[in-house]
Amino acid sequence: MVSKAIENQVIVVTSGKGGVGKTTTVANVATALARNGYKVVVTDLDIGLKKLDLIMGLENRVIYDIVQVIEGECTLKQALVKDKRFPDLYMLPAAQTRNKDDIRPDQVKSLCDELRPDFDYIIIDCPAGIEQGFRNAIAAADQAIVVTNPEVSAVRDADRIIGMLESAQFKDIRLVVNRLRPDMVRSGDMLSIEDLLEHLCIDLLGVVPEDKLVVPSTNKGEPIVLNEKSAAAAAFSNIARRLTGEGVDFPDFTENESVWAKLKSLGRNLWSGKGA
Amino acid sequence: MLDFLKKVFTNEKSSRTQANERLRVVLTHDRLGASSQLMEVLKVEIMEVIARHVEIDGTPEVNFVSEGRHSALDINIPLKGR
Repeated sequence: MVSKAIENQVIVVTSGKGGVGKTTTVANVATALARNGYKVVVTDLDIGLKKLDLIMGLENRVIYDIVQVIEGECTLKQALVKDKRFPDLYMLPAAQTRNKDDIRPDQVKSLCDELRPDFDYIIIDCPAGIEQGFRNAIAAADQAIVVTNPEVSAVRDADRIIGMLESAQFKDIRLVVNRLRPDMVRSGDMLSIEDLLEHLCIDLLGVVPEDKLVVPSTNKGEPIVLNEKSAAAAAFSNIARRLTGEGVDFPDFTENESVWAKLKSLGRNLWSGKGA
Repeated sequence: MLDFLKKVFTNEKSSRTQANERLRVVLTHDRLGASSQLMEVLKVEIMEVIARHVEIDGTPEVNFVSEGRHSALDINIPLKGR
């Protein structure tokens, strides 16, 4: 299959804070893109703390890693792991017994340049933090996806990361909000999508609702996006479609303010003498 | 239920509102890359420079304003008329 000559084909998925769902986003968006007929490679740059192989269920197929490729111990082709389900999906594993300082941004850049002609999308899983690992991960990227949760510390770190991406001249930075609970937003106990966009001032790429099906799918090493019953799956498919330029509407997360929330604000307003 | 009634009948802000207010403050400072003391230092130093050349009248104001991801210093220094 010949690459489709896509603009901004190298995508870094980053967040600042750990545990917000970067690797889950990488695995699911890549799987959805591959299902839609694109040729995709995912690259784990979390050297020393690799997880992408496990999330994608490919841990038993790993032979070489990215550090060995960079150090010339094997070829890039030898290190690429083929996905179980989609023939056009590949993974380049991180090294587990090395650390972030063992590779440099220019090496990641030339490695991605080597991958560009053979793939439609190259998706980079960035480690948490703002140090060497982050610099390595953004070095080759044409666009960035910032993943956050509707939670103050994740938003603060996302803001810092967006600032750093802007300083690094990124023009295309979009937001994925993961683990949203619309019921909690409605009851006034969680930041809403509108709140997050107001604080972070970047374009929205997707909203993934909290979904109990994600943990069991991770346990099994099967991307949730393949589970038709999952709300998170629909969200990840939509993100993949928006990435390829398709216009996909966002579901309305604000409508249907609950009766409880209405009563609550009524109570509040009556108390403060503003009337309903 | 008791918690709920408490929330309804006291004027307690929702945690979402509190999160928004707290974020507004920390993000402003984070983006500036400095603590809240910076504003005071700036104010004093800017006024010193101005006062070296012209006479200041009234109370000068130095504020930090932000629109989207872009920030600016809003400086208002009344000068003594001649």
